[in-house]
Amino acid sequence: MSSIVIKDLQVVIGDREIIRGLNLEFSKGEVHAIMGPNGSGKSTLAKVMAGHPDYQVTGGDILLDGESILELEPDVRARRGIFMAFQYPMEIPGVSNANFLRAALLARLPEGEEIDATDFYRLLYQKMDLLDIRREFTARAVNEGFSGGEKKRNEILQMAILEPAFAVLDETDSGLDIDALKVVAKGVNTLRGPNVGILLITHYQRILNYIIPDFVHVMFDGRIVRAGGKELALELESKGYDWLKEIDTEPVGAK
Amino acid sequence: MSSTTNSVDIDRDVGNFFYNLTPARDAGVGLSEGTIDYIVDVKGEPEWLREFRKNALHVFMSKPLPTHWAGDELKAIDFDVIRYYLASGESAKRSWEEVPAEIKQTFERLGIPESERKFLAGVEAQFDSEAVYSNIKRAVADQGVIFMGSTEALKERPDIFRKWFGKVIPTGDNKFSSLNSAVFSGGSFIYVPPGIKVKHPLQAYFRINAENFGQFERTLIIADEGSEVMYMEGCTAPKFTTATLHSAVVELVALPGAKIQYITVQNWSPNVFNLVTKRGLALEQAEVKWIDCNIGSRLTMKYPSVVLKGRKARGEVISIALAGDGQHQDTGAKMIHAADETTSNIVSKSISIGKGRATYRGLVHVPKHLRGCKNNTECDALLINASSRTDTYPAITVRGTGNSTQHEASVSQISAEQIFYMQQRGLSEAQAMSLAVNGFVNDLVRQFPMEYSVELKRLIDLEMEGSVG
Amino acid sequence: MTTTEPSLILPPLTTAPEWFKELQTRAWAEYEAEPLPVRTNELWRFSSVKNLSLNDYVPAPEFLADAVRLTSRRSYQKPAGRLVFANDALFSAELLDPALKASGVIFTTLADALEKHSTLLRQHFMAQPAKLGSSKFAALHKALVRAGTFLWVPRDAEIQAPFEVFHLVEGDSAAVYPHTLIIADDNSKVTFIEHFVSFDPAQRGFACGVNDLVLKPGSKLTYVSLQEWSQNFVSVQINSTIAARDSVAVNLALNFGGKYSRLESVSRMVDRGARSDMLAVTVARGDQEFDQRTLQDHLQPDTTSDLLYKNALNDRTRTIFSGLIKVEPGAHHTDAYQKVRNLLLSDDAEANSMPGLEILADDVRCTHGATSGQVEPEELFYLKSRGIDDLAAKQLIARGFLNEVVARLPEAELSEYLQRQIEAQL
Repeated sequence: MSSIVIKDLQVVIGDREIIRGLNLEFSKGEVHAIMGPNGSGKSTLAKVMAGHPDYQVTGGDILLDGESILELEPDVRARRGIFMAFQYPMEIPGVSNANFLRAALLARLPEGEEIDATDFYRLLYQKMDLLDIRREFTARAVNEGFSGGEKKRNEILQMAILEPAFAVLDETDSGLDIDALKVVAKGVNTLRGPNVGILLITHYQRILNYIIPDFVHVMFDGRIVRAGGKELALELESKGYDWLKEIDTEPVGAK
Repeated sequence: MSSTTNSVDIDRDVGNFFYNLTPARDAGVGLSEGTIDYIVDVKGEPEWLREFRKNALHVFMSKPLPTHWAGDELKAIDFDVIRYYLASGESAKRSWEEVPAEIKQTFERLGIPESERKFLAGVEAQFDSEAVYSNIKRAVADQGVIFMGSTEALKERPDIFRKWFGKVIPTGDNKFSSLNSAVFSGGSFIYVPPGIKVKHPLQAYFRINAENFGQFERTLIIADEGSEVMYMEGCTAPKFTTATLHSAVVELVALPGAKIQYITVQNWSPNVFNLVTKRGLALEQAEVKWIDCNIGSRLTMKYPSVVLKGRKARGEVISIALAGDGQHQDTGAKMIHAADETTSNIVSKSISIGKGRATYRGLVHVPKHLRGCKNNTECDALLINASSRTDTYPAITVRGTGNSTQHEASVSQISAEQIFYMQQRGLSEAQAMSLAVNGFVNDLVRQFPMEYSVELKRLIDLEMEGSVG
Repeated sequence: MTTTEPSLILPPLTTAPEWFKELQTRAWAEYEAEPLPVRTNELWRFSSVKNLSLNDYVPAPEFLADAVRLTSRRSYQKPAGRLVFANDALFSAELLDPALKASGVIFTTLADALEKHSTLLRQHFMAQPAKLGSSKFAALHKALVRAGTFLWVPRDAEIQAPFEVFHLVEGDSAAVYPHTLIIADDNSKVTFIEHFVSFDPAQRGFACGVNDLVLKPGSKLTYVSLQEWSQNFVSVQINSTIAARDSVAVNLALNFGGKYSRLESVSRMVDRGARSDMLAVTVARGDQEFDQRTLQDHLQPDTTSDLLYKNALNDRTRTIFSGLIKVEPGAHHTDAYQKVRNLLLSDDAEANSMPGLEILADDVRCTHGATSGQVEPEELFYLKSRGIDDLAAKQLIARGFLNEVVARLPEAELSEYLQRQIEAQL
């Protein structure tokens, strides 16, 4: 089964330990949610999986289909099928959305192969319609002048076009109102299927009403401290995060 | 990001080229009245021109180098060892085997036609343009357009030539314009009759020979009332030359209602001092637009300008400069408003890579009692590496209540976060840099004619590759 | 000045220590050796340098006019201390509240400071070179200075009320050399207001002033100058601000007087976290010329500077602005901004702007901009449609234009006070 396995992961930034022995496994076809209070290391986990240069892995491993990806550059990991929807998507002035996606698709093709323009636009428009994104966005520079909600929808659009094997959505719901949230959730749900494993990182339970997870993990102080089914999310919703401080913080395996 | 190596890496030691020099018509090195006489005699020029040239020589000798504002780099030019006139067909050559591999690769990557490669690489002195461009030349001639070399023009059409020659850029304008006035050779002369809109862009290419790409070209373009013409010079491919000083003069005259667009892509080899004086005169309702891209040379000093002499005249300078290791692109624009309701627009974007240095110098002058004049200047610099340098020195003078000017400048870099974002989408670091840099200059590159804009993008990609590990 | 003996010009500070007297002698020699500026020098481009010929100025004689008349309507309500100099002689000193004095605050004259705090003075007196073109005048000042203020704010002291100093001039062709040195020690907080006033609004005169602001780590200093020299005055003012780690300097110059005023301001951010705001409001009338040159010099990473200069030009006035933002190698993550706005209110007014950048580090955010224009016809029309006449409308707009700068000051009470001063000028 194609999966990502994270084993005893330890991560620091500068001299600060953020992830302290994290274990997690998710496979294609599954939707896992990670919840936790601010400072628990959720976003760090996402960035480390994507290969962000600011963080150092000091222990443990991340395996994609049995092979470690820790030595791989971010773009190599991306081409192997990992996609991260950023919490704060970057603006790239002067580079249109269309050209950017085209370049990203082209990067995955073998040397010398081209992308047919008509095919590309057909695909692009189809996915844009799915996400209620207006046609004029193709010519606008990536995320420039986009509202928070538009940026998040743009991330999901990219995910739809690039069809990753594993998608890590870093607080995709932050800064969105209910309507924007519903559109984003709809987009994710349409992409959900046996060919993609989704790791949804969130602070609030709300999005999980729309994207129903198969498994829920609770992260606290750099570790996964509880795991369960979707009911766990509701439990957190009513109890909050404080009680986590009391429980045994031995690292817990996933599933 | 690692430090840059310029992807076009010709031997950088000035003067370290080895050739078989067998010049048949060579004025020798150094500059004197004797040099002038030689040039005039060999070219069979009229006496008025001999006087003109000699006068210019004296002006050149009497002027100091502009080091009080231009810095010390110019002191590296040794005027005594320069060959001021080398006739066509006799310039230095090298064999194709001697051409560095990177250059051959660049030609390949840029898609330069086979037929042109040997000329550009300095292997052949001539390029036979007849076959390729003769159709266009014929069409243009049918419209009544005069398009010939400067030397031919001053002999065959002195009526038009003398009327404007040296009027837009007088001999004494600056040290290098006086040098050019003394020893100019080659360059184009174009006259467009009233009302004629020249459909095809005219290119310096059409009239290639070594002389035209020589050091001291002099170009004069006159667009008569209501006419339109576009002229392109240079190319994205690196141009090999032994000459270390390139000091051209370009004068444009746009008569009422006329429009001239002058496009330059400069990619001289990295041993060249490229000091050019370019100025356009725009009369009533006329427009002069300079589109300038500077990628090569060791030092380029070029400030295309427009004198807005007639009411409602328009001037525009669009400039892209790319400065890599060992290069200094010192460019800018000058807009002199001399009539009511004139408008000027300057957009300058520079990219400094590695230890490259880009400088913007601008001058906007709106004098007394003019009304309704507007200027807009935007000047953006992109720094790619820690050791790059960028400077901006504009000067804006405005008088009166009827005018407005706006100057905005910014310096930025491509952030590590932006690169990471693009990498996460599968682009390699180099690809990500290319995309971001192209994005930075995108709206300017689009103003170049199609063939150039494609080549330009490729060239920028090449330069970026060189700068990333 | 045609003599070569400075002591014949002005009685020197006789009680000054030896090192100072030597400094003054050397400075005089430097002054004599250096030629007057010429317009072809980049640092004096566009400037009417003919105004700088220093013949026929005389040392300021005894001040005979009524100083209180000048100071009373301009004085800040309750300052922490006030010094009034008239023709380079101390006229009055309202010294500090004893509590402040006890805590170690020093607010005194230059002469007094040279006597009692010689070491401190030696370390800081004109320690910054005049880089923007007026080195000859800096030397002149150094050689002839007598009347000055020294303010030392000790560590952690936060003083709410501002200190206030007046420099008054009276007498035909009188020359004065005002000096201010402020050192704000670690984490201190202080505000300082300085007035330059001519008694007779038409009398000829010359002022060559220097002020040096030294901010130690974590300190905050707000300095405001109100220049109201006569319409026939030539003024050269050389200012420097050194901001250390995490310090915040705010400099505001209000320029109203002088026939020809040259104002050079250097801000150097010498350590991380330093910040310098440089603000100026200039109202030019008649045939005035204001020549302002600035340098925002970033030497270390994570520093900020923000310049906003606004000029309102009437009649036949001229302004010149030349501002350089310099980011030295290694000064990454610098944020530097510069904005110059010229409002041309007459057909014969002329504004020259030269905003400059020299960036030698990367990962910086720098923008600069300069605009010159007239009162927006739309805005004018709007006000007139509400019954306000043309002249009043223009004044209202000009006022709003200028007040934006003053509103940048963190201290509201001070802003209001300054707005009233501007009001009196318009």
